[in-house]
Amino acid sequence: MKKIIFPIITLLISMAACTDLEIEPKSSATSAVVFNDESSYTAFIAKVYAGLAVTGQLGPAGDADIKGIDEGFSNYLRQYWQIQELTTEEAVITWGDEGLDDLNAHTWTSANQFITATYYRIFFQVSMANEFLRETTDGKLDERGVSDETRALIQEYRAEARFLRALSYWHGIDLFGSIPFYTEETEIGSSAPEQVDRTTVFNFLDEELQAIEEDMVAAGQNEYGRADRGALWMLQAKLYLNAEVYTGQQKYTEAITAVNKIISSGAYGLEENYGSNFLADNHNSGEIIFSIPFDGERTITWGGMTYLVHAPVGGGMDPATYGIDGGWAGLRTTKTFVNLFPDVTGSLDTRAMFYTEGQSLEINDQFSFTDGYAIPKFKNVDAEGLVGSDLTHPDTDYPMFRLADAYLMYAEAVLRGGAGGDQSQALSYINELRARSYTSTAAGTVSADNFTLDFILDERARELFWEGHRRTDLIRFGEYTSMVWPWKKETKDGQASEEFRELLPIPSSELLANPNLEQNEGY
Amino acid sequence: MKRGLITCFSSFLIAIIFSSNLIAQSTVTVGGKVTDATDNLGLPGVSIQEKGTSRGGITDFEGNYSLTVEEGATLVFSYIGYVPVEIEVGTQATINVALEVNPTELSEVLVIGYGQQEKGDVTGVVQAVNAKDFNKGAIVSPDQLITGKVAGVQITSNSGEPGGQTSIRIRGGTSINASNEPLYVIDGVPIDNSPHNPGGFSGGRNPLNFLNPSDIETFTVLKDASATAIYGSRGANGVIIITTKRGNAGSKTSVTYDGYVSVGQLSSSIDVLNAEQFRNVVTAKSPSRLSVLGDADTNWFDEILQTAVGQNHNLSITGGGENMGYRVSVGHMDQDGILKTSNTQRTSFSLNYNHSLLNDALTINTNLKTSLTKDRFAPNVVGSAYVFDPTQPVYDENSKWGGYFEYDNDLAPDNPVSTIDQTQDFGEAFRSIGNMEFSYKMPFLEGLSAKLNLGYDITNGERERFQPSTLRGQSSTNGELRREDYKRQNLLLDAYLNYKKNLENINSDFDVTVGYSYQDFVNEFPSFRAWDLDTDIFGLNSTSPATEFTASTSIQENRLISFFGRVNYSFMDRYLLTLTVRRDGSSRFGESDRWGIFPSAALAWRILDEPFAESLTKVFSNLKLRVGYGITGNQDIGNYRYLATYTQGDAMTSYQFGDQYVTTLRPNGYDAGLKWEETSSLNAGLDFGFFEGRLTGAIEYYQKNTKDLLFDVSVAAGANLTNIILTNIGEVQNNGVELSLDGVVIDKPNFDWNLAVNFSHNKNEIKALDQINDPNFEGYTTGGISGGVGNNIQILRVGEAVNAFYVYDHILDENGDPLVDGVDHNGDGTINLADMYQNINGDELVNDNDKRPYKSPAPDLLFGLTSSMYYKNFDFSFTMRGSLGNYAYNNVASNNGYYNRVITEIIPNNIHTSALQTGFTSPQYFSDYYVEDASFLRMDNITLGYTAKQLKNVQMRLYGTVQNLFVLTDYSGLDPETNNGIDNNLYPRSRTFILGVNISL
Repeated sequence: MKKIIFPIITLLISMAACTDLEIEPKSSATSAVVFNDESSYTAFIAKVYAGLAVTGQLGPAGDADIKGIDEGFSNYLRQYWQIQELTTEEAVITWGDEGLDDLNAHTWTSANQFITATYYRIFFQVSMANEFLRETTDGKLDERGVSDETRALIQEYRAEARFLRALSYWHGIDLFGSIPFYTEETEIGSSAPEQVDRTTVFNFLDEELQAIEEDMVAAGQNEYGRADRGALWMLQAKLYLNAEVYTGQQKYTEAITAVNKIISSGAYGLEENYGSNFLADNHNSGEIIFSIPFDGERTITWGGMTYLVHAPVGGGMDPATYGIDGGWAGLRTTKTFVNLFPDVTGSLDTRAMFYTEGQSLEINDQFSFTDGYAIPKFKNVDAEGLVGSDLTHPDTDYPMFRLADAYLMYAEAVLRGGAGGDQSQALSYINELRARSYTSTAAGTVSADNFTLDFILDERARELFWEGHRRTDLIRFGEYTSMVWPWKKETKDGQASEEFRELLPIPSSELLANPNLEQNEGY
Repeated sequence: MKRGLITCFSSFLIAIIFSSNLIAQSTVTVGGKVTDATDNLGLPGVSIQEKGTSRGGITDFEGNYSLTVEEGATLVFSYIGYVPVEIEVGTQATINVALEVNPTELSEVLVIGYGQQEKGDVTGVVQAVNAKDFNKGAIVSPDQLITGKVAGVQITSNSGEPGGQTSIRIRGGTSINASNEPLYVIDGVPIDNSPHNPGGFSGGRNPLNFLNPSDIETFTVLKDASATAIYGSRGANGVIIITTKRGNAGSKTSVTYDGYVSVGQLSSSIDVLNAEQFRNVVTAKSPSRLSVLGDADTNWFDEILQTAVGQNHNLSITGGGENMGYRVSVGHMDQDGILKTSNTQRTSFSLNYNHSLLNDALTINTNLKTSLTKDRFAPNVVGSAYVFDPTQPVYDENSKWGGYFEYDNDLAPDNPVSTIDQTQDFGEAFRSIGNMEFSYKMPFLEGLSAKLNLGYDITNGERERFQPSTLRGQSSTNGELRREDYKRQNLLLDAYLNYKKNLENINSDFDVTVGYSYQDFVNEFPSFRAWDLDTDIFGLNSTSPATEFTASTSIQENRLISFFGRVNYSFMDRYLLTLTVRRDGSSRFGESDRWGIFPSAALAWRILDEPFAESLTKVFSNLKLRVGYGITGNQDIGNYRYLATYTQGDAMTSYQFGDQYVTTLRPNGYDAGLKWEETSSLNAGLDFGFFEGRLTGAIEYYQKNTKDLLFDVSVAAGANLTNIILTNIGEVQNNGVELSLDGVVIDKPNFDWNLAVNFSHNKNEIKALDQINDPNFEGYTTGGISGGVGNNIQILRVGEAVNAFYVYDHILDENGDPLVDGVDHNGDGTINLADMYQNINGDELVNDNDKRPYKSPAPDLLFGLTSSMYYKNFDFSFTMRGSLGNYAYNNVASNNGYYNRVITEIIPNNIHTSALQTGFTSPQYFSDYYVEDASFLRMDNITLGYTAKQLKNVQMRLYGTVQNLFVLTDYSGLDPETNNGIDNNLYPRSRTFILGVNISL
């Protein structure tokens, strides 16, 4: 039996040596090695930005950030835009994708895939920004021996990451009310975050934006695509203007202060031509304060501007006119919006850029593209009429914040009683805007008598339609659920919807994953 | 990796060498002849072993043998299918033995994991299908050989593509996101059988196609946990062990040729309008668009389908010498698909060589299988053939699209003939799988042997596709070329000890196995895509005309390391106990969750061997009760899922910072605590035989509970870096019964008739999907369909079957037809979903919340019937297969069967004939009208053969086979067998006629 012992021992030793299961991935990087290259910080902050524009790591689709939904649908801009526009009188859509017509009809449920995608996109941004902040603490940078030059850059990036997080948190409270709240202090893989009410998040954002103001690059001074103080002031103005909705407290004075900073910075000026803000070369616009840049070859997606340029083209419209290879025959508008304009041809107010040929004003069949006027607002051609670099994916950037909005906010905050501005200044800003778009300045000029809050709401539609503001505006004016437009509540003439729809439902999958959350009333 | 394997290998060899010192003894020589007791003919290849030693030999061609053995030795004469005989040598110099045929079916030797066992001793659910029982026909993928043959095993080809992918479910699926396919072990080498679909291409083919069906001896299906737990983390979905043919020592040289030619055609008709019907529909529904129609009469299916011709030739030589046996075979198969241009070819070579050394103490068995498969893939144009206007011509000489008629609109359908003709899509794979098994009987301890199995499985493949700029679908990419050259490598080392001991004083037999296994997988997938071509003339061969490129490489590695053990204990030859345990480590999980233990236990009771059962033996020839319980796992997910990684974005997802476009870097979500799925399963079964084995069978009951499902679930926003991560959540249960019967109906000198039937019932239910078990949770939708974007037709909901359909309850009119859309049926003044669909939840609206789970793709009952008759020189056999209670969603009808296809599509599209019945104007994707009973009975194959009488040692058999002769079903679509219950433009199945010959000499 002794003979057996030696081989068995050898065998046991050999076994012990053969238990190595550690395999490092070769074609993807682990966090341990990725920051050995200092350019990774720039690549990482670029992702935090790109989360607004593209859907994954392969363009136009592939390796999606958000799963459980068609990747093209999971685009931040596309969904935020759809929630802000399709649920209002400004836009309707023909497609039969599950839950899409529920947005038009104000009949959405907590299972709605578009609301779900919007929700996860918002928190994807927050998580990316938090992770960036966790990876760029002084301790980590010391540990990795990061050069001074890069550290200076990282200081700016950190402020921008906090700005982008604030932007998404603003969208979060605006759309969903009380939301899960977490910062870079919360570790990955820890338990689900607690739900926090709007006021708490609002106060955080208020302090946060003041705290990073100094670290942000001065207005108009940053590289194109990156946020600067101008963008920060716009976000502050948006928060303060809607503060009463969010917290019950008016902050119109603060809103005026923020807008004044934008205007007095001198970094921005109105474009001569209204339409040039929405063309393939709109990165040259002096009016745009913060944009989401797209490029036909380098920043491409099936959402974003690809959606916004293709979806409104159909019927008898010639795609070549808009610099694209084909329309998607989806988006149109209702007569409620069309009727805000003095005429539909644009001969008086050039902002009435409707396509009416072969289209009916009435929507008898909401799933027929030719029912309802089309609006080719965003185009993939430049001011010279030249087509962008690609016929499928436009070069056109999305103008998230522009000076015209600042003017309108100033006027509204003044009319609502905010201090720090005055009515005549407000009126002159508005008339400046209208003069640009009216073929006759006289016809466009608004008198002090007509300069009311109701006028402001309509003027915001005329100036800012299809730029992702409408839902928030209607809610601030108390019109979102009560106002009636075709096919709201699935009826041709429309009906008012329930008040609880001012907030979206928290997605059912999220309620399941996070037991700390309470659903919004009504859902 | 390689160094690790070499270290393991060399230290194991050292262990063997140190134990292999032989001992000399005094000896005598003995010889004689072994015969078959029934006909007194010599039996070649009978194994003769000196009991308690490794010495022995085998009989020659005539049954003669001669051995040198120790004085006073006992010789054991054994031969498969015969009762072994032990004889004491004493002083005899000549010992002649007549072996009796084993009367029962229990002596069949079954291959089990890391060993073999006689059927009578098996305690788990193990079922073998031998070559003579395989399905007949033009079979490309070996798994099709046993379709319908084994209870509880559902084998579904995903389409009618020759050699297309197959899904196999053994006793229902245990998982949702991890694989549900069984583990394949080919001649002792577990293979990575995951199909590889190179990025952006349509599906590849069945990875098992490399294996020539005519080289296969046996499929052994291990179904329950007590059989599969020895494969631990890969055993949850069952194990299929494939054993290839080999040569036996002492057998005479024989040469076999078999070959066939086949012709296949579409087996059913297509529900689409012809030109005249289509014109009538346009006239009625959208007369203003008549001007858009053409004046041709094109049947687009006739234009894209072909008669599929195939041929197959195999030549093998088998033989053996005194200590060795061999088999060599070459084969060539060439099979068209019925979709034009699709084709698959295989040229295969296989070798088996086994050799006994050191007086049979050491045996070395070598297997090598190598094949080159060449595929041509037809683009799936079935969808566009359905919708393309039948009044339009195929060709248009003025067309800039390669001379094919096309519409000048991106949203219009593409000409299917142009797509199929102009696309060049090729695959080629060279795969080689081989192993050497060393088996050494230790001289110092009787009954102890050591085994070493070294194996590899290497594939070098490529896939390339070219679509010229003249293809309509290339209008925006302007010509495209894609290529992927991939490499997959799997290396294996198994080392184990086996000890058999009989303790007569306590009436016990032990058979103990302990071992170690190391398997390493490395896959590399470099690929590129080039487009915007200046010219098409280079075709697949050059990227130089391209102005745009992307390229990527993905390297995937994983490793499995295991320790395993098994004890088979038999008491009084009638109480059998099997205990197994496997400890598995997988590189796919984090350090703390890497190792898992998978135990099993099974008991069997051979009732007929009890003294009290004497009276039963008049009726029964076998009666064995079995109970087993075990835990198995599933680790079939991607690699590195537990690690924090960053993914670099490509150039097209970069972001503009000033003048620069910065490529991005994304941290990925992950669950650091990932671990195995665990399935615990219970099986109780009864093996029985009546009338001296003329009717045999087994009945089984099982329950499988899978927990810690590897499931892609939503994670709380903020708790991770993305919204859905793979984690261990949820439970699934499968319950079922199976019955197999084998009967000899007629057993006359000139006429034999055997029948085999099997039935199985499985019920599948989701038990949990989330941590908090919220009863109001609706579940996750799944099962993407064509129509709209992102629409899902199935649901995963607690209490329902996996992938139950999730649809509205469509209200029927008095004729039983679904209510048509666009009509205010309920008279409330508006036209909405409430006019057509039942309000299930009772609130004021009919919306998404009114869908309900309705039926599922899983059948209630599966059955298979095989009949074989032999009359004089003729043989006649068939295999029928049926499925009851399985439902399918007719996506072809739902996506094409409505008039807006004609009215509002950019170009009038042809419609599915169902629109004529339903009258739907808009698509009703979520109507339960499209969920149809897809129960079926299919005549899989039917064969008539004639064997010529032996002419000078030549035996020849001619046969004719029809595959897929008919399908009986109420399902309205093309074929009731669908992939996961969604019938969506599947590659149509064919009916195939085969003429073949087998010659052996």
